[in-house]
Amino acid sequence: MKKVLALFLVSILLLTACSSGSKDKQASGESKDTKEITVWAWDPNFNIKAMNLAKEAYKSENPDLKIKVVENAQADIVQKLNTSLSSGTTKGLPNIVLIEDYRAQSFLKAYPDMFQELTGSFNPEDFAQYKMAPTSLDGKNYGLPFDTGVTGLYVRTDYLEKAGYKVADLQNIDWNKYIEIGKKVKAATGKVMLTQDPKDLGLIRMMIQSSGAWYLKKDGVTPDLAGNAALKEAFKTYKEILDADLVKPVSDWSQFVAGFNSGDVATVPTGNWITPSIKSEASQSGKWAVVPMPKQSGIASSVNASNLGGSSWYVLNVPGKEKAVDFLAKTFGSNVDFYQTLNKEIGAIGTYKPAAEGEAYKASDDFFGGQKIITDFANWTEQIPQVNYGLHTYAIEDILAVGMQDYLKGKDLDKVLEDAQKQAEEQIK
Amino acid sequence: MSKRIFSYTVLIIASIVSIFPFLWMIVSSTNKSVDVTKGRLLPGTHFIENLQNLLNTVDLIPALINSTKISIITTVLAMLIASLAGYGFEIFKSRTKDFLFNFLLLSMMIPFAALMVPLFRMFGTISQSVPIIGIDTKTAVILPTVTTAFLIFFFRQSTKMFPKEILEAGRIDGLTELGVFFRIYVPTMKTTYAAAAIITFMASWNSYLWPLVILQSPENQTIPLLISNLGSSYSPDFGMIMTAIVIATLPAALIFFIMQKHFVAGMMGSVK
Repeated sequence: MKKVLALFLVSILLLTACSSGSKDKQASGESKDTKEITVWAWDPNFNIKAMNLAKEAYKSENPDLKIKVVENAQADIVQKLNTSLSSGTTKGLPNIVLIEDYRAQSFLKAYPDMFQELTGSFNPEDFAQYKMAPTSLDGKNYGLPFDTGVTGLYVRTDYLEKAGYKVADLQNIDWNKYIEIGKKVKAATGKVMLTQDPKDLGLIRMMIQSSGAWYLKKDGVTPDLAGNAALKEAFKTYKEILDADLVKPVSDWSQFVAGFNSGDVATVPTGNWITPSIKSEASQSGKWAVVPMPKQSGIASSVNASNLGGSSWYVLNVPGKEKAVDFLAKTFGSNVDFYQTLNKEIGAIGTYKPAAEGEAYKASDDFFGGQKIITDFANWTEQIPQVNYGLHTYAIEDILAVGMQDYLKGKDLDKVLEDAQKQAEEQIK
Repeated sequence: MSKRIFSYTVLIIASIVSIFPFLWMIVSSTNKSVDVTKGRLLPGTHFIENLQNLLNTVDLIPALINSTKISIITTVLAMLIASLAGYGFEIFKSRTKDFLFNFLLLSMMIPFAALMVPLFRMFGTISQSVPIIGIDTKTAVILPTVTTAFLIFFFRQSTKMFPKEILEAGRIDGLTELGVFFRIYVPTMKTTYAAAAIITFMASWNSYLWPLVILQSPENQTIPLLISNLGSSYSPDFGMIMTAIVIATLPAALIFFIMQKHFVAGMMGSVK
C-alpha cells in the first residue's frame, strides 16, 4: 500500500507543478486580454446571430479586436450574474451582457459599480423613448437598447372572413370589440381566439403598458396595484375573455406555439419576436395579418401600441470595457446599414429610429398577404408609452397570478387588488 | 385474488406514469419540432435530421467528454474518500466520533443554494493564486461535490453489518491498516460500492446549478448546461432538444442497467 501513498504524493506534486505553470500563462493572458472581449446572450437564432452580425460589421472598424460570443440561457445568465456580482468576484464575467428590460433595473440598482456608464457613447434621441427608462438609472445611460418587444395582434384572415370580418375591421380596436369579434368567430368557425397560460400574465402586462401604467409607480419601487385603473380594467377584460370561452388554456411555451401552428386559435396577441414561429408553419402562408394591439376601453391614455419583453446590451466594469463600449456604439448604437442586415437575416427589429428609413424595413411579406409588417411594427414602436419597469416585475406578477385566480373564482376585484397591494408592500420592502 | 388484481392495477398505472415521459422523449426525438408541439405520439423519421441539426448547432461531443471526465473523476474520488470515512467512523473507536458524525449529518440539512455564494467567493479567492483550481475549471466543479455527508452515512450504515472478525484475522496475519482496508474491506463491499458509484455518477452527470455558476467558457460546458442553452431560444427546435436529452440520458441509463443487480443488492445492504 505504500505504492498508493507514493502515487498520491506524486499526483499532488504534479498538480502543484501544473498550477504554477498555468499561472504564468494566465498572467500573460491578462496583459493581452484587451484584444478580446466576451459577450453573453441567449437564443442562437436571434440575439446570438445578431451579435455575430455585429461582429462582422465591426471588422472594418477594428479588425484586431476578437469578439467571443457565448450562448447561455436567459435564466442561466441571471443566475450566473447574481452569483458572481453578489460574491464580489468579477473573474470569468463577460464584457458585454444581454439583460431583459424587465430585469434591468434590479441589476443596475443592486450592483451600481459593476456596470459601465454608456452616457455620451450614443445618442438617446435616436432610440425609441420607451427603452430609456429601463436602461438608465439616475439620468445616466447604462444599457444600449437592442430589440423591441413591440406587440401586435396576429390574426387569421381566413377565420375572420368566415365570421364576416375584414382585416380593416380590426384596425385600432379596443378589447371590448375584440371580445365581440371573438364570439362571432367562435360561432362561425368553432375556433377560440387565443391561448393563455394561467401562470403568465403577459397579456395583463401588454394591456397596462398600452395605457402607460405598470405594476409600480413612476419611482419604480412603490407597488401600484390597488387603485390602478388600467390594471383593474385589464383584470376585468381578462375575466370577460375567459367567461366568453374564447381561450384555449396552455401550460407552457411549446403548447403556446402549437396553438397557432396547428390552427387552433384565430389570433395571437404578443411581441413581434413571435413572427419566425408563426412563419414556421409554411402551410398557413397568406392566411395571417398583423393589426395594432387592441387598446383598453375606458382608459383615456390608452393607445394601440404596447410592448412585451425586449432586451438591451450592458457593459460590465471589467478590463476591456472601453473596447466593448466602442464596439457597441459603432454597431448597435449608430450603424443604419447594420440594422438593415439584422432585419434581412434574422427579422430583428431594433429600436434605433433612423433604421426605419432603410430598405429592409419597407419590404412586404407574402406570408402576411403582402403586408409591410416591419414598417408597421417600427411605427408602433414609436407609440409605445414609456413606463418604469422598476424592480420586482416578476415578484409582483407571482402575487398577481394568485390574485387573478381568486378573482376568477368570484372574489371582489377591489379586494383582490388591495390584498395584492398589501402583500407586495410587505414582500418588497 | 381480488387483492392481487388491485395491486397489479396500481402497479400497471404507476409503471405507465413513470415510463411515459421516457417514451415521449424517445418518440419526440424522431419527430420534427412542429409535430412535437402538436403532441404526436407516433415515432417519426426525423431522428437523423435532428441529430445532424444538433451536431451542427452545438458542440455536443466536447460537452459529452467534459461531463464524462467530471463524472468519472468525481465518482472515483468520492468512492475512495467516502468509503474510507464511513469505514473509519464504524471500525475505529473514539469518544468524539459520534459527535463528529452528527455534525456531519447536520451539514446534509443545508441546501446547496445557501452555500453557493460563499463557495463561489472562496473559489474566486483561490483563482487569484492557484488558477488551476479556480473559477472556470473542471477541478472547481469536482472539488465541492467530491464527497457528501450522505455517502459517508451510506458507507457507515453498510459497514455496520460487516463481519469485523475478518479484519482481526487480517491484522493477525500481518496486514497493515491500509492493507486490511484495500484487501479485505473493498472486495467484500463490492455491492455497496456499486450502489454508491451509481448514485454519485448520476448526481454528478445531472448536476446543474454548481457547474452553471462556476463554469464560464463554452469549452468547459457540461451536458445539462448545453441542454439548458438549447431551450433558450424564442422559437426552440423541440425535436433537436429531445434528441440531445436522449443522448444525455443514455450513459447514465446504461451504467444503471449494467450495475442494476449490484445496485439493488447494495441498497439492501447485503454482505456476501
